Amino acid sequence: MKTETVAMILAGGQGSRLGKLTKHIAKPAVPFGGNYRIIDFALSNCANSGMNDVGVVTQYQPLILNNHVGNGSSWGLNRHNGEATILQPYSSMEGEKFFKGTAHAVFQNIDFIDKKNPKYVMILSGDHIYKMDYQKMLDYHKEQEATLTVGVMPVPWEDASRFGVMNTDKTDRIIEFQEKPENPKSNLASMGIYIFNWDRLKKYLVDNQAKDRQLTDFGHHVIPAYLRNNEAIFAYSFEGYWKDVGTIESLWSANMEFLDPEHELDIRDRNWRVYSNNPNTTPQFLTESAKVTDSMITDGCYISGEVVHSIISHNVKIGKNSSIKDSFVMPNAVIGENVKIEKAIIGEGAQIHDGTEIIGSDDNIEVVGYDEEVGGYTDEN
Amino acid sequence: MRTKIAPILNLVEENENLKPLTNRRPVASLPFACRYRLVDFPFSSLSSIEAPSAALFISGSGHSLYDHIRSGATWGLESSVGGGVFTHSHINLKAELEDPQYQGNYYDDHYHYVSRSHAEYVMIMGSNMLSNIRLDSLLRFHEKKDSDATVIYKKIKRSEVREDSIHSALIMSEKDNDKIEGIRPVTDTTDPNDSLLLNMEMMILSKDAFLNYLFKAKKENLDVSVKHIITYCHGSEHNIYGYEYTGYLKVIEDIGSYYQANMDMLNEDNFNSLFYRSNPVLTKLKNSAPTYYGKHAEINNAQFANDCEVYGKVENSLVFRKVTIAEDAHIEDSIIMQDSCIEEDVHLKYVILDKHVYVKRGAKLEGTPDEPIVVAKDSVIYEDGTIEEGE
Repeated sequence: MKTETVAMILAGGQGSRLGKLTKHIAKPAVPFGGNYRIIDFALSNCANSGMNDVGVVTQYQPLILNNHVGNGSSWGLNRHNGEATILQPYSSMEGEKFFKGTAHAVFQNIDFIDKKNPKYVMILSGDHIYKMDYQKMLDYHKEQEATLTVGVMPVPWEDASRFGVMNTDKTDRIIEFQEKPENPKSNLASMGIYIFNWDRLKKYLVDNQAKDRQLTDFGHHVIPAYLRNNEAIFAYSFEGYWKDVGTIESLWSANMEFLDPEHELDIRDRNWRVYSNNPNTTPQFLTESAKVTDSMITDGCYISGEVVHSIISHNVKIGKNSSIKDSFVMPNAVIGENVKIEKAIIGEGAQIHDGTEIIGSDDNIEVVGYDEEVGGYTDEN
Repeated sequence: MRTKIAPILNLVEENENLKPLTNRRPVASLPFACRYRLVDFPFSSLSSIEAPSAALFISGSGHSLYDHIRSGATWGLESSVGGGVFTHSHINLKAELEDPQYQGNYYDDHYHYVSRSHAEYVMIMGSNMLSNIRLDSLLRFHEKKDSDATVIYKKIKRSEVREDSIHSALIMSEKDNDKIEGIRPVTDTTDPNDSLLLNMEMMILSKDAFLNYLFKAKKENLDVSVKHIITYCHGSEHNIYGYEYTGYLKVIEDIGSYYQANMDMLNEDNFNSLFYRSNPVLTKLKNSAPTYYGKHAEINNAQFANDCEVYGKVENSLVFRKVTIAEDAHIEDSIIMQDSCIEEDVHLKYVILDKHVYVKRGAKLEGTPDEPIVVAKDSVIYEDGTIEEGE
């Protein structure tokens, strides 16, 4: 079957506002919700929407991310009707191909897309937590006979100035784009999700290469260029849970929301599953001294302490008389005895030694980095 | 490591005393410890020595086994270079052996698999001796002893197996403690406190010794089993040694031992012996969400798999995937398999629920430690305790 659409997941961003959590791994690879990494949501959306040809564009600290995505088999994206391909910068006769922006990353991978020869290219970000049927957006794109459709999401008016907003006419055609405007004329925020007609986008990107090479970013350059040329750009409104977990606070609060069994993301919905590259590990063991309430625990955990309103990812050990509250503990962390943790994010493989206290607050979530060691005995004698 | 072993998994195993759990599945696919099946243990041992292929002999259609094993990728058996799972189904040892029409297949299947593999050794294993064997050290022992055949055994108390157990014990030479001198039924030992050297029905032997045995077996209508091969080795002056296993072992031969093996996992020493001190135990991966424990959940010494929702009280129990336990339900000393749903105010004690059992609000069931109540797959338990059995 001919490929109709190639989905390009832009997963090269650093996510610098996540501080030490993205020091050694790219933001899309940051663990989420006990059993996932952030990019799982976009990849699962692709799989569930029947977008089987996926390019995952990586650049910043790609080791864990590339390893996680692999050949896409965890999402069923390794079949004869499509595949997941990791696209990394490479050097060539024209020089090194590091990506200078979202549109530039696509330009550098023209060969990959051309080989699939699709009619449409869907641009996605690997940074967001949401469930969305991309096929519906593609249907809309075709119905409108658009050359570009932008996924938008109504946000509260007071927040609109934090986003790129799209002003539309009565037919949902986009007539103006404002990046983080002081006085927004619309509350339709861009989700960073685009569907382009590939031949048209390619022409823009290639022509641009011959001219001033200014089209490096979709929001800043490509959409304005499309608007100037009076292209048929339409806004597709998405209603549902969508969260950019770009900061420590938002990553923490998204996890706390995820914990709620009534959460609209409904992780247990069998009709729209979120897949991940799960580890092969043991059952979760809650010992006689464990006390676990209002929490998520994942396979491979060994819990001897108290866990309240927290997410504990796979293979975490928590010792006796320790208490974890309102926190998100990433995989493979080891927490000793008599430890107290509140309002914190504990990085993958971190070691929290006996008797340590890590107490954050709503506006200052404590963070322990990956493989970081906290506390421990001192050689006083 | 380039492996030298051609494994044969003999999964035609006695299951009468494990009914109803084995009504529709062989012993090898009995669910165990929240997320495993018994066959995961021999497969994981083989995986750790990077065995590229395995031959399976199973009775019946083996649907639940196929579903679990698939391509064997979990254990690295899917390679297109020398890999594969070679399954031989509908093997019914005794009946087939009596009908010469089928005899050919049984022996030829063994012959083709072993002769075509590039292995130096054949490994014979089953699934009803729950253990985690380090095959690399077995192999070292076998080579160091310059042995033709090496059988794995464990020193146990007579009381650890059934009174009428069908299993056998090894007799070791008095001159050389490692050398096997003979074999006898465990029922020969009557005092429950006596110890014996249980034949774990796993052995490694040279390809030549195996093929020689196969010709004789075909002529004399013998099963390809560890027991028979031991006897054969003695008659043919092959060197045969015993390799002592000291880790966790449970012989799964009836509901009681199956129940106890699961409960044993709630003891950390046993759990660590089986899961952490030896090969990692690999099982088919399923996509899953973390398990959610509700605001009033009370958990005391219990194990769970992912994908559960637990609002009630669970003590000394094992809970498999996708189980829901409602508020004010109370589960004690029980095994709850995948997809079961337990409503409010239910009380279960010493109960094994097979997959997909629905327990209605207010139902109470209590077995005993020696005779837990077993509820068959797809059953419904009503408030008054009556059980409507699944089809």
